[in-house]
Amino acid sequence: MTTSMTSTESAKTTDDSAPRMPTKAYAPASIRWRTMVTIAWRMMFHSKLKMFGTLIGVVFAVILSNQQAGTFLGLIKKNTMFVEYCGADMWIVSPSTLTLQPTKPMGISSLYTARSTKGVAWAEPLLFAGASIQLPAGGSEPIQFVGTAAPRYAGGPWNVVGGSKASLERPNTMVFEDSERERLGGLNIGSVREVNGFKIQVGAITWGLLPFGPSFAFAEYELARRMLKIDADQTHFVLIGLEPGADPEAVKAAIMARAPEVKVVGRQEFRSLIISFLLKRSPIGITFGSSTVFALIVGFVIVSLSMFSAVVDNIREFGTLKAIGATNGDLARIVVTQSITFALMGSLIGLAVITRLAAVIRSPKLAIQLPPEMLIGTTLVMVGMCVAASSLAVLRLRKVEPGMVFR
Amino acid sequence: MSFVHSASIPVVEAREVVKDYGEGPTTFRALKGVNFHADRGEFVILSGPSGSGKTTLISILGCVLKATSGTVRVLDDVISDVAESELPKLRLAYVGFIFQGHNLIMSMTAQENVAIMLALRGWNATDAAKEAARLLSLVEIGDKLKSLPGDLSGGQRQRVSIARCIAGNPPIVLADEPTASLDAQTGQLVTELLHNLAKKRGHTVVTVTHDNRIFHFADRIVHIEDGQITQEKDSHS
Repeated sequence: MTTSMTSTESAKTTDDSAPRMPTKAYAPASIRWRTMVTIAWRMMFHSKLKMFGTLIGVVFAVILSNQQAGTFLGLIKKNTMFVEYCGADMWIVSPSTLTLQPTKPMGISSLYTARSTKGVAWAEPLLFAGASIQLPAGGSEPIQFVGTAAPRYAGGPWNVVGGSKASLERPNTMVFEDSERERLGGLNIGSVREVNGFKIQVGAITWGLLPFGPSFAFAEYELARRMLKIDADQTHFVLIGLEPGADPEAVKAAIMARAPEVKVVGRQEFRSLIISFLLKRSPIGITFGSSTVFALIVGFVIVSLSMFSAVVDNIREFGTLKAIGATNGDLARIVVTQSITFALMGSLIGLAVITRLAAVIRSPKLAIQLPPEMLIGTTLVMVGMCVAASSLAVLRLRKVEPGMVFR
Repeated sequence: MSFVHSASIPVVEAREVVKDYGEGPTTFRALKGVNFHADRGEFVILSGPSGSGKTTLISILGCVLKATSGTVRVLDDVISDVAESELPKLRLAYVGFIFQGHNLIMSMTAQENVAIMLALRGWNATDAAKEAARLLSLVEIGDKLKSLPGDLSGGQRQRVSIARCIAGNPPIVLADEPTASLDAQTGQLVTELLHNLAKKRGHTVVTVTHDNRIFHFADRIVHIEDGQITQEKDSHS
């Protein structure tokens, strides 16, 4: 055994192998970081069972939080889809309007006020009310009845997948939603049904126009007015399209000056009103928000305990590193590297699962919305969560005595 | 620049060193005014019964613990005056450790375990890997570079530990019961290796051991009992 030492050393002792005058300085930060990152990854992948346990925690948090937040965004989209699909730049609504929902009619004079306002390209009335459709086998189902003015049809229908929008010009004709056809008694183009006591015929079919409540069903404005028994001098909303280059604020002020009994809101403003209503006046915000927070808390606890447990399991190795010259900062780098790695790996797996899941279950009834901003945000939140979760482990490492290695 | 230090000036020296554990009425005095020194190229064995203060003394010499009172000097540094936060820097500069239980990072290969020490001492990754391979060859396990500690025998692990200890050429090598977990033959070989570190490379080697079968390797044997040095003899005299 000593042969090698002896023979090699006899040559080396006199040159570069003898102890040198020590340098009392830490290695450059770049070298320390790279070393600690290597140690962190080796430790992580060495304890595969523990690594999978921690990863499951992160993956669970990513999937659950995205599923909840994505479903919430899907619900928001359902509730704002009418405003988004509709080509109106502005809406005239009654002053008490908090969201897009059936409301008491208002005077139609604001329609004419709008049409005569500078900067307004067009203005159309819109009826928006609840109605019911009689089923062939008896009973009825609710529908979200929309009265939309020809020939512009600014208030829909959109996404017509069967028949044509122009069918609304035929007498007693309506357009229904494809995804609700079965529920509405097996509707098809040409089917005859009774809506609000009127016999109507299905003229066309839309796809995906299913809000949070009953599906949209469209009729030409005059037919809708008769069916809803709305007086000719009343309407529910007025849709406004602006001329190119028109100043929305100036138009809004001009209309409200001449029609102070109504409220004028821009498209984004109305969208914000709807979202605000959902968050403040309905339990949706609390329900989904608390579920998302719960998912993050569960993930935090799992990661925190796993990281702490990993430190305790490897406490002697950490003590050794400290004894041979690693600092508390170096050991913290190991734990932080592990936590960031767990966050990135867990996010990658979790997001892959949830995006696939969302694609599989996507339908007009349930559409999980996963915008890129949310996926990036989730990853950043996971990194923050995992780093925060590792703080307990870092605190434990600070208390590791290098002298423990002699015991 | 090679380390050149006069043989007449100790590389490591402790004067009237006292170490207390705990506070108040439960205070335990582990060292009671110990005087100790070791010179360049010297192989010193610290012996004594369990709880006598051997490990406390090498912990203080190795800049792991601070003495309660007394003076501890390593080369030109009075380490007893240094703030606790500065101790890791001094350990890196001066000391290589060999532990009873090898204390290797189990998830890293033999080569990586040695390279860690070099990286902490500022070597870049490429040079550290080459030097680690050279040192492992030196302790005759050059064929185990990529082996994990779990795949090595106790003797092989201790050799990795020795290679790690001398990585970067620290002037002082402190070994805590390096043969305790080894069979007699391997223990002899490991001690011979430590002896060569002192005699052929000029390290100052201080070894704590109960194993009287290796006493004949030592230049000096220092016996500690109840926190005091009770006997000190030149093993060759």
